[in-house]
Amino acid sequence: MNVSGKMFYSWSDKDFDESLKFIDNEQLGDMPYDIAIIGAGVVGCALAYKLSMYKLRVLLIDKNYDVGEATSKGNSAIVHTGFDAAVDTLESELVTKASREWPELAKKLKIPYEKCGALLIAINDEQNTQLDKVYEKALKNGVTDIQQLSAEQALELEPKITKNVLRGILIPRESIADPFSTSIAFAEVALTNGVDILLGTEIIGIENADDKIKTLVTGCDKRIDTKIIVNVAGMGSRKLADLYEGESFDINPRRGQFLIFDKYSRSAINRILLPIPTAKTKGVLVIPTIFGNLIAGPTAEDFAINDNTVTDSTIEGLQTLLDGASKLYPGLYEQPVIGTYSGVRCNCSQGSYWIRCNDNHPGILTVSGIRSTGFTSSPALAEYLISELHTKLGLNLEVNSAAIDSRSERSWPGWWKRPYSNYELVKESPEFGRIICYCEQISLGEIIQHLDSPLKPRTLDAIKRRTRAQTGRCQGFDCMVTVAEIISNHCNIPLNKITKRGPGSEIISTGKHTTSTKVVK
Amino acid sequence: MIATKHFNVLIIGAGPAGIGAAIALSKRGIKSIAIIERNDKLGGIPSFYKKKKGGIRTFVRWSRGGIPVFGEDYAKWLEKQLVKTKVQIELQSQVCNIDAKKKILTLVNNEKREVNYSADAIIMACGSREETPAERGWLAGSRPVRVLFTKQLLRLLDGNHLLPMNNPLIIGSDIIGYAVAAKLKAAGASDAIIVDNCSKPKCGFFERLYFRMWSNPNYKGLSAKSIEVIGNKTVTGVMFNGENITCDGIVVCGVLIPNSELALNGNIKVELHSRQLVVVKDYQLSESGWFATGNMLGGFHGAEWCYFNGQRVARAVTNYLSNKPMNLEFKNEKR
Repeated sequence: MNVSGKMFYSWSDKDFDESLKFIDNEQLGDMPYDIAIIGAGVVGCALAYKLSMYKLRVLLIDKNYDVGEATSKGNSAIVHTGFDAAVDTLESELVTKASREWPELAKKLKIPYEKCGALLIAINDEQNTQLDKVYEKALKNGVTDIQQLSAEQALELEPKITKNVLRGILIPRESIADPFSTSIAFAEVALTNGVDILLGTEIIGIENADDKIKTLVTGCDKRIDTKIIVNVAGMGSRKLADLYEGESFDINPRRGQFLIFDKYSRSAINRILLPIPTAKTKGVLVIPTIFGNLIAGPTAEDFAINDNTVTDSTIEGLQTLLDGASKLYPGLYEQPVIGTYSGVRCNCSQGSYWIRCNDNHPGILTVSGIRSTGFTSSPALAEYLISELHTKLGLNLEVNSAAIDSRSERSWPGWWKRPYSNYELVKESPEFGRIICYCEQISLGEIIQHLDSPLKPRTLDAIKRRTRAQTGRCQGFDCMVTVAEIISNHCNIPLNKITKRGPGSEIISTGKHTTSTKVVK
Repeated sequence: MIATKHFNVLIIGAGPAGIGAAIALSKRGIKSIAIIERNDKLGGIPSFYKKKKGGIRTFVRWSRGGIPVFGEDYAKWLEKQLVKTKVQIELQSQVCNIDAKKKILTLVNNEKREVNYSADAIIMACGSREETPAERGWLAGSRPVRVLFTKQLLRLLDGNHLLPMNNPLIIGSDIIGYAVAAKLKAAGASDAIIVDNCSKPKCGFFERLYFRMWSNPNYKGLSAKSIEVIGNKTVTGVMFNGENITCDGIVVCGVLIPNSELALNGNIKVELHSRQLVVVKDYQLSESGWFATGNMLGGFHGAEWCYFNGQRVARAVTNYLSNKPMNLEFKNEKR
């Protein structure tokens, strides 16, 4: 399939592939963009994807070296029904709408997705009284396919849960999906339809914010013209809004830590286990992942905006998770933990889904406070934003009949389809039979296929999110260096310049070769 | 699952233990044996310790009068012994699944693709790996680049001649930690700081003395509840008992955990938390005809111990195959 958009990195290193480097403005063409989306998280990518269905010049920019690299990568990977959202809010409306679109969306964009259902359980008297309120709220939110369960019914569905269960609610449409593939799929389709993508490019200034054509100043000192600016920079949206002096709002990052359990635990639990939510959070959940693990989390810890330890894990936090999750599934204490991660919720003090059209300047749209529900709501939110762009910012929408709205069959992630079992494929391309990541059984062919994919991922983490190499129980003990060697060989980047997340995260700090390089004969 | 080829004995893993078993079985007259290795070379972990000028001999051959040798040399010696036999060697082949009852392995490689092999007896010699930070339970913080396992360091340092860090910090104070400190120093880095959550290093006195020839690392051992890694993109240090120790790279060393996932996949009994295989008797696992050897049995052993252990398993397997009464005296092999 022909890719009509352009894709560049602001990657200064001299050893980096010249054809992928953003060196000159001419690479982007001389016409101003109709719309520049700043922030390639799941919301920015969804917006680019939906906009790519129209005849528009669209640019998607992110300071990271992959799409979905920041907040969008660390979540619970649940596609919510919105049963417990605050009633009559934009968030509730969009989550409910999106949850019904998801099965079809996952199919056409080749995003691994499973409708596993969720079980909300009450384990003490207080929670038992709360349960009815949750039930009524769900009905008000239009989630009518839920079912109240007795303790016996709950235990019949999930025999391994705590015997202290008093009552439960079954929410059949709560689902799980691959959050990494989601941002990637949106961005790939957008790129194919002609959206340009600039990665590793930070916006450090905005000039002529009141004019019809505004200018973005990049960290690498380039100037890009655009008619409309959309700020979907997530945790960076505050800093970006300061550049154009948008309306004041505050972000209070809220950390969520997670524990990852090995795959042997997955067969014990089939559904997402939810405690009764409190005013602040949903509590500690036990969640089966689409990848075949169980995870427990999240915590809810508030941080200051500039605190860079916000994505750290703490021993106390992880212990809290284990204790909390074991109240739902006591057997978790026996299960080996293979990894941890934390994510940040983009929590806005002025309210969630904080959206400002013509934010102190015509043609600027600010979107912030997209909390944990953003992963679910992103396709519906993107459509909502497009209608706002059309009605309030005067964006002209003319459908592009040549646009495609799917990814090819080969876009299914390898871990989902297991190409090594495909006899014909391995016969044709033997590298699909050469297993590189032993834990997740990921082949050389899958890694190369992704290196050659439209978004041209070049970092270890980008390959990890696409292939799952390094995500297994050994956490890269066996395959990290092999994957780095493959990127190095295939993309012609010296091994010492291979990075985890772009420049500044090289696997070699010294750039030095060892003093004794000579092999003794 | 239907097998396409049948063997008397299949061995999973061509490290010292697997090769030891293969050679001994061959000498005992077992006709058809295959050894399956997922890497592209024989010899297992020792093969990653390259022979270098000014390099460190980390493996001790007690059978040759206790002389330290390079890991790579030992791996080559193993290979030489193995190719003399008629054992079928399958490199770059990953066992993806097992059927424990029928004794069938599904292996994947780029030539044969997905094939099923069956056998009368199967030996697992899958070795062990280092525990991840999460598995250790007292390592937390951020997840920057350059927090390496020993194997990753070896592949950069010995395999690619790249020195990943100048000021190393080593987490784990057993012999592997001290060997790593010596290797880094010999390659041009400064003396490492070794940290662990015990007051005295786990590495024995004489072993430490041996590695003193290259490096004199600074040991910081305190009963710390946690170590937190600091660093945004790259690692800049750790917080350890309120002290900020700076470094430009971390090696997470030692603390081995058996690679028992295949056994778990096939419902062969494994103690879940420790991942230790349950040995019923004489190296036999909970499923009839399945055996295990080497570091996969747990513990912490050198290459030569594993080689000899492989030979002992070969005897148990031969007994099993000839339906001789089993040696009921069960010994759990620990150092």
